[in-house]
Amino acid sequence: MADLTAISSWTLADAQHFGRRAGFGLTPADAASLQAQPPDTAIDAWIDGTGAAYDTTAFAAALATADVVAEPLVGASTTVAGSVDVPAVAAPHPFLVQGADAWRNNLNTAQALLAWRMQHNPHAFEERMALFWHNLFATGWHKVNNAALMLKQFQLFRSQGLAKFDDLLVAISKDPAMLLWLDSVLNNASGANVPNENYAREVLELYSLGADNGYNQTDITQLAKALSGWSFTYAEADYVKNPANPNLKFPADARFKVYDGTAIAPDTRLWWGGTATVSSNMHATGTISLLGQNLDVTTTANGWAKGENAIRSIVSVRGSNCAQFLARRLLTHFVTTGFSAQDLADVAAMIQAAGFDLRAALKTLFKSQYFFSAANRHALIEGPVSWTVRAARMLCPSLASGSAQTPRGYPAWRLVTNSATTFDEAGMKLLDPSGPNGWKEHTAWLNSNTMRYRAKLAAALTLNETRTYNSVAYPLFPVAITVDWFPTAPTSSQAVYGRLVALLQPAPIPTSVSSAWLAALWPATFTWDTAAQTKARELAFLILCSPAGQLY
Amino acid sequence: MTTRREFIQTLGATGAALAGLSACGGGGASSTGGLPPPAPTPSSPILVIVNIDGGYDWLNVTPPNAGANLGVYQTKRATLGITNPALLTDLGSGMALNKDLIGMDALHAQGRVAWIPGIGMPNPNLSHFTTIDLWGQGAAVPAGTGWLGRFADAAFSPTGDVLRGITVTADLPVMLKGSSRTFVAITSAGGYVFPAYLLSTSTVPDAALLETGWATALSASSTDGGYLAGAQAGRLFYDAQNNPAFGTGGSLTARTPTVPYPGDATYPVLKLSGTALSTSLSSQLKLIAQMISAGLPGQVYFARLGGWDTHSNQAVDHPNLQRALGGAIKAFHDDLASITTSAGNAQDRVLILAYSEFGRRVQENNGGTDHGTAGLSFCVGKSVKGGLYGGYPDLTNLDANGNMRYTNDFRGLYATVLERWLGQTAATTDTLLGASYPRLGFL
Repeated sequence: MADLTAISSWTLADAQHFGRRAGFGLTPADAASLQAQPPDTAIDAWIDGTGAAYDTTAFAAALATADVVAEPLVGASTTVAGSVDVPAVAAPHPFLVQGADAWRNNLNTAQALLAWRMQHNPHAFEERMALFWHNLFATGWHKVNNAALMLKQFQLFRSQGLAKFDDLLVAISKDPAMLLWLDSVLNNASGANVPNENYAREVLELYSLGADNGYNQTDITQLAKALSGWSFTYAEADYVKNPANPNLKFPADARFKVYDGTAIAPDTRLWWGGTATVSSNMHATGTISLLGQNLDVTTTANGWAKGENAIRSIVSVRGSNCAQFLARRLLTHFVTTGFSAQDLADVAAMIQAAGFDLRAALKTLFKSQYFFSAANRHALIEGPVSWTVRAARMLCPSLASGSAQTPRGYPAWRLVTNSATTFDEAGMKLLDPSGPNGWKEHTAWLNSNTMRYRAKLAAALTLNETRTYNSVAYPLFPVAITVDWFPTAPTSSQAVYGRLVALLQPAPIPTSVSSAWLAALWPATFTWDTAAQTKARELAFLILCSPAGQLY
Repeated sequence: MTTRREFIQTLGATGAALAGLSACGGGGASSTGGLPPPAPTPSSPILVIVNIDGGYDWLNVTPPNAGANLGVYQTKRATLGITNPALLTDLGSGMALNKDLIGMDALHAQGRVAWIPGIGMPNPNLSHFTTIDLWGQGAAVPAGTGWLGRFADAAFSPTGDVLRGITVTADLPVMLKGSSRTFVAITSAGGYVFPAYLLSTSTVPDAALLETGWATALSASSTDGGYLAGAQAGRLFYDAQNNPAFGTGGSLTARTPTVPYPGDATYPVLKLSGTALSTSLSSQLKLIAQMISAGLPGQVYFARLGGWDTHSNQAVDHPNLQRALGGAIKAFHDDLASITTSAGNAQDRVLILAYSEFGRRVQENNGGTDHGTAGLSFCVGKSVKGGLYGGYPDLTNLDANGNMRYTNDFRGLYATVLERWLGQTAATTDTLLGASYPRLGFL
């Protein structure tokens, strides 16, 4: 059984385990200061983002700058490499602007922004949960074809990712990117029309219950009726205009609306544009039979949208199945894939007892004896985005100490995400999964191709690599080894190894492997000189590429 | 290697099943009569899997054009149905071919296409992901391995044959996972060998040290599944790149295709919108041709064209997808004729097997189609005995959800290919699939 009682004290290794799984790692110093606090209050603050350590003020200021960062790397007009001179454009998503006279809906830029957020957000848990929900409610840019709406969905994960699950499920069902992704906007069940089942099937199979877990094909067609007409509109203010040519505009925001033949708000457009002032009538009428319940799909009681009662009934009627589904996903991502049926049942029961309050359930899980048990250390293979971000957090200077780039690291991520589509080849095309089932985790992250690209990412992170764009060579992850990695000069090869292991926190590496590395890198007397520092880079690369370096 | 004679002998062993197939229309030579007999099975056969990903609407690829099926089709596909004879090629037996599947009519006329409609399984599932796993596993009692992964377990050397199974996708589909052997994923012809694939090579660790991390780790006594997965993936990549076919800079010998592929500037067919077709499958098949030409020892290749989950906008998306699919397969087949290695001419050696996880609902919705059941597979090659195999589903007798009932068990296709193309004995074939399934007569 999974012992879900809370730990009362913790070790440095416990705090590091928590930091890897619930964030993107902790440096030895940060882990020590976390461990100095009682686990109960420390974990609450980590999850809630309360306290100075999680203050996002400076980060938010840098993020605002990110929206106008002049990236010579993406072709903006500049006078000085790295300078900021693209005209500022109103929020929310001006980074979509590319240069003064061109703009685009650029996936790589959006990926870079997310990776940069993950690297630098002091409230790492917010980004970790967004990444988790992105895999669960997997939505793909290639069909949505709007990076701003994709990032709006990520913002939903940040703001609602710790709400009650039924509220989150309703919110994602109304999310514009999701409405486009699984064809809700084309689901017409008015009159004799045949509803589009795409979203109804996947919300049951992939987003709430799991395949064939408590529903059947009839439930799918009934739910599709309830959700017919779910769509969105654009207001004039939702468009971002190209600063150089305001006639070119792109929708960067949208608002939910059931298309039931009623008027739309003044100065808004239907999702396909045009001049209509009344929404098409696509919503079914009458009563459906869903999961054994009869539901009126036209009611707006409780302030709910028409059909919302059907979404909510998935959780209320099939609570046990839903809790089991959530437990499986949470365990697989945060704890272990080696859970027993009883472990799963215990965690599911806890989620149900918490009333599907995700914040409460996650606090219980992360404080539990089960989470901290020895068997669950380094028991998961880390996904490639998390793996890259965590290494960057450990190896690269913090936002506060960075200087050369503004904001530091963002141009690098822009190059990494665009360079031979590295994230894609490493097995996680951030913001653009091929299907609504997202990515399989743990051992499914690794094959010969993803390993090849992890080696490529590891080289970018450790070997001082540069990328040339428009004849300018940009450092990808610039680090000063003697400052960022070794503030205290090591006196032996073993000390170099020990410090890198403390930073990168791989699973235990067999001594036969580490000895072979050290003997080859430092065959003679150890001196901490420039050559040795280059060797230290190589050692970091080897650790990151090794089997143990994939586990976290 | 099993000879053609042995194949014929094997046919006798499953004669009853084959007789059954004939009774339901197998080997329909009606439209291909008078052609030369299929080429004999080559001594070094290659299987190229083309995964039509998303559940393709084959009812609009090979629609019914006669009888009661046509009536149902016209009613349920009032908007999306393809019924204009000018858009179709008659395949006989009440089945037509949509000309948007570019090039396949020409291959059919040459007798090089085996059409297998109604292929599916008992207790079909309408989930993409459940069904993809079932198609991948291909066994009555799946254990997480795929049917081609188990073939690799049985046929590939435990210590060599690293490049005998190759996917040109970035992922490793479950179909290709064995318990002891697995496939290599290679997505580009350049920069494959360490350290050429790194962004820059200013500071490069010794490759032997990298191998230490993977190979030594693999030989260590760890029983941790995650640890071993990392060691195996790394070691497989490390071993694969040591093949001498990867020349200077870790790149395969450059090769210019001898025919245009969909998406190429010189390819004569475009999307409905007048823009270039998707190059996704074209690029993958060109890469496979390059690998064969370079002498990589690949016996099984895997490629994929996604985008077939046409819940909406099918009238536009589906013709474009068909053009990319059919056009790429035709171009690849033609292109292969120009490749001759010590193992023979590539067109003689390659059998293409196309499949999708399911077909789509007979009744259309507003502009699209929902998930269905039985599918259409087809095989292309010079050794194929062209025609129709198995029965077209009866559209007047749909299941309770309005979906087609399958007429061909998909594992019969696998059994046919394992035994008559990949040279497995009948007994091994049945073991790999967990049961004995009737073979189809196209090989």
